[in-house]
This record gives sequence, C-alpha cells and structure tokens, in this order.
Amino acid sequence: MSTPKIRLDAVSKFFGGSVVAVEKLSLDIRDGEFLAIVGPSGCGKTTVLNMLAGLEPATSGTMMLNGKPIEGPGAERGVMFQDYALFPWRTVRGNVEFGLVYGPAGQGLSPAERTERVERTIEMVGLTGSQEKYPHQLSGGMRQRVALARLMANEPEILLMDEPLAALDAQTRVILQDELLRIWGQDRPAPERRTVVFITHAIDEAVFLADRVAVLSSHPGRLKQIVDINLPRPRGDATRRSGEFARLCQSIWELIREEAYRATMN
Amino acid sequence: MSVVSSTNAKAAGPTRLGGVLVYLRTMALFVLAWYAGSLLVPSKLLLPSPLAVAAALRDTALNGELFGNALISLARLSASMLAAVVIAVPLGLLMGRSRLWNDLLELPVEMLRPIAGIAWIPLALYLFGIGHRLPLFIMFYTAFFPLLVGTAAGAAAVDRRLIAAARTMGLSRSTIMRRVIVPAALPAILVSARLAVAASWTAVVAAELVGAPNGLGYAIEYYRSMLSTPTVMAFIVTIGLLGFLTDKGLRQLSRVLTPWAQTGAAQ
Ligand SMILES: Nc1ncnc2c1ncn2[C@@H]1O[C@H](COP(=O)(O)OP(=O)(O)OP(=O)(O)O)[C@@H](O)[C@H]1O
Ligand SMILES: [Mg+2]
Repeated sequence: MSTPKIRLDAVSKFFGGSVVAVEKLSLDIRDGEFLAIVGPSGCGKTTVLNMLAGLEPATSGTMMLNGKPIEGPGAERGVMFQDYALFPWRTVRGNVEFGLVYGPAGQGLSPAERTERVERTIEMVGLTGSQEKYPHQLSGGMRQRVALARLMANEPEILLMDEPLAALDAQTRVILQDELLRIWGQDRPAPERRTVVFITHAIDEAVFLADRVAVLSSHPGRLKQIVDINLPRPRGDATRRSGEFARLCQSIWELIREEAYRATMN
Repeated sequence: MSVVSSTNAKAAGPTRLGGVLVYLRTMALFVLAWYAGSLLVPSKLLLPSPLAVAAALRDTALNGELFGNALISLARLSASMLAAVVIAVPLGLLMGRSRLWNDLLELPVEMLRPIAGIAWIPLALYLFGIGHRLPLFIMFYTAFFPLLVGTAAGAAAVDRRLIAAARTMGLSRSTIMRRVIVPAALPAILVSARLAVAASWTAVVAAELVGAPNGLGYAIEYYRSMLSTPTVMAFIVTIGLLGFLTDKGLRQLSRVLTPWAQTGAAQ
C-alpha cells in the first residue's frame, strides 16, 4: 500500500479540559478499505468519526486525508449520524435528494438522472411508498433508513457511518448489509472501491462487512487492537455460517469483553 | 389510507361541533352578563346595552363606514407588517447566526425595544403630521421588535447537528442559511409574527386616534367626541373581531407552511 487514504497520528480529544474522549489514537485507513470500529459505549467512536468528518478539531495530533490535513468537512466524506440528523421540514424524498439538489454531489447530473438516483436509493432502503412522509411520521427504523439513503444518494468517495443499521430488524439488517457491500464495491477490483469507516456495536456485523476491525478500549478511548478479517469476498450467507467467521467473532468478543464489563459496571 | 382518514373525520366531526357549542355558550353568557350590567348601570353613556351596540354595528355596516374604516386599518396593518417582516427577519437571521451582527445590533435593539411604539407619537406628529405615515410608522415600530427578537432566537436555536449534516454534504454558508437555518427557524418566525400582529392591533387605535384622518382608531375617537358610546363600542368590537381573525389566519398559514411542526401542537 502506498500513502494511506486517511492517517491519524497520535490524535487526542479532550472535552472541557478534563474528559479524555480519545487518547493518542494512531490509525491508517487504506484507500478502498472497509474498516469497522467496535468498542464499548462511550469509548469515543462517535468522537473519532466527527473528527474524521471535519466537524470537530482534534485537541492534539494530526489527521490527514490524501496527505493533506483535515481542516473541515467536505463533500467527499459523507456522514451518517448516529442520531440521523434528518431535516424535519423535508419529506423522505426531500431529505434523500438534499445533497444532490443543494450540494456538489448533484453537479453534472440532469434532473432526470437525479430523480432516478433518488428513487432508486429510496427503493434500496425499502421506503418506496413513504416518499411524501415527514420524519416525525416514521418509525425509528424507517428514519435510520432515510439517513442511510441520504448518505448513499450522494455517492461520496468516503463513507463515515455511525451505527447505521442499529435500529433495524434482523432481516432488513442482513439485506442492507449485502447492499452496503455492493455499494462499497465488493464485486469490483480493490482500487475501484470506496472507503468506508463503519462504527457498530454488533461484532458479527463488523466481521461480516470489514477488511479490518479496530477494537477500541474505553476511559480513555485508545486503540486496543486491529484485527484483520481475511474472509474471502464476495461474502454472503455462506460466510455467516462458516467456522472462520465464528472464530473471528469469538476472538473479538474476548478482546472487548472485559472492556464491556468495565464500562457497564462503572 | 382511506379507512384512516374517514375515522379521523368521524372523530373530528363531533369535537369540532363541540368546540363551536362551547364557544357559543361562552359568548351567550358574556352577552347576557353584559345585558344585565347595562340594566344596572343607569347611564347609557357609560355602558350601552348589547342591543344598542348591535344596532350601531348594523347602522355603520349599512352606511359603509364600518367596512371603509376597517379596510383602511387593515391595509395599514398589512403594509407595516410587510415592511417589518422584510427588514426584521433578515436582520434577525443575521443576529441569530453571527456574533458580529449580534454584537453590533444588540445594544440599540435592547434600548429601543422597551419603548412602546405609541411613545413616539408626539415626535412622529412633528415628523409626519396627520395622515398615513404616522400610523404606518407606529405600527411598523411595534411589529418590528417582536419579529426581530423572535427570529434571532429561532435562528440561534437551530439544531447544530442539522447544520453539521448540511456541512458534510458540502453546502456553502449561504445555501445553509437559506436551506437549513431559515426553514428550521420558520416556526419561531411565525410565532413572532403572530405576536407582532397582535401588538400592531393594539397600536392601531392609539396611532389612528391622534395621527390619522380615518381608520378604526379615528372612528372611535370621532364617535367618542359625539358622545355616541354604542358606536364607539361597535368599533371596539370590530377591532377585537379583526384581531381574532388575523390571528386565526396566521395560525392557518403556519399550519400550511410548517406542517411538520404541527404535531401535538394544542392550538
Ligand atoms: N460534546 C461533548 N462534551 C463533553 N463530553 C463529550 C462530548 N461528546 C462526547 N463526550 C464524551 O466523550 C466520550 C466519548 O463519547 P462518544 O460519543 O464518542 O462515545 P461512543 O463510543 O460513540 O459511544 P456510543 O457507543 O454510546 O455511541 C464519552 O465519555 C462522552 O461523555
Ligand atoms: Mg456514538
């Protein structure tokens, strides 16, 4: 691998001087890589994502994107927020098309192409028929799918996703995991893939999707270990049933078990 | 879908009718109390009976005086409201979102805001004389501050996560202002518009009382000097009614403009 897509070097984040959310995190994210981040609640996953998105500066350390320091948000890094951050005054369609209509993501698209992409994305997340509904008229899982569609419609080069499938039922989750792998580019050669940073609580989800799983420890948030997931691609139901899959899940679970207990007891 | 809406309609029918009945009963009680009061108060000049007021309403309505004056006052209210919206809303957005603008405007605004619009009448009489411009100015002044302060507060309170979401989609600052801040602050702006209109109605009378040759306020003053209390009361009732109707109109407007913000709103 040549220069990494994203490089975090000894990045720390303090809140109000005393709260250490992230401490000395160093991590290279490769171009076209699917990286999952797991760790107990409150260990700083969202904080890392916000810094990668350029929404919050690091307290110390450096963050580089394509060799240049990250100084703010950019349309090449799309974000799906843990609490969705949907626009309440816009319908499902209005939310999904937002970036295409008002941001650079829609440049070079004809109105017909734009409409086609918006409708296709809405269909992908299974919200066809709810296009005219407002966020407050949707269930939690539906809102999460709107947020997912809003990110997907923009087709950013880098996808930063904060627990994007957490509120979904098991079946929908499996369907959207497959869909996510397709959009990421699992069927394409590695150089043509997007780069994904995917936060999740579900270890099996991390193992199924990712090339590497970064395990964070809490208080303060540090990188505990990076686990390579060498399961063959394309992955599917056979992957989920394989012994290697179970073994990887087990070893990651053991890594974070004591952390999880510690976080829960506190 | 149709099942849902038809059950809704059934549920809404009786409650709406019930609301009207409650309203009528309240009004009837009020008019009865008024009537009883007018029998007890000996002077017709102090408290005319509701019947006398109704007769005055009918007479002024028939000779066109009621509608003519109401129309003039309404036109003045609309014009001054429009001017206030055009100036106060953009300024309020700037104040709510920019430190610089807030620091620049906060002091003068906080100094002018507590001064009632009608306090400017004597000065405005010198400046504008009697005519349209004086009531227009007073009503504009009265509407301006609730709008400015309400808009600024609404713009400052916009959920920062929504702004963050728009920034990650690469929107420019001005696009975020138009496509995120303005719609997110719109419910607050509409509430302050209702407050501004209500305040403007209270200023109408005072401003037209002294500063205009026509309008509802002028009519009240004119009939007071003619010692015709029933007609004075008829115009007062008209102002109350118009104030109620304009507020109802504005509430309807916010329902249309911000359907997403109407859930659970018990208005
Ligand atoms: N704006 C803030 N001000 C102060 N402390 C904060 C702020 N944001 C996060 N923190 C603290 O930083 C730590 C990490 O928070 P963060 O949201 O990144 O955790 P997380 O790993 O995303 O947790 P979860 O899995 O529950 O979403 C927590 O202890 C939290 O209290
Ligand atoms: Mg989080």
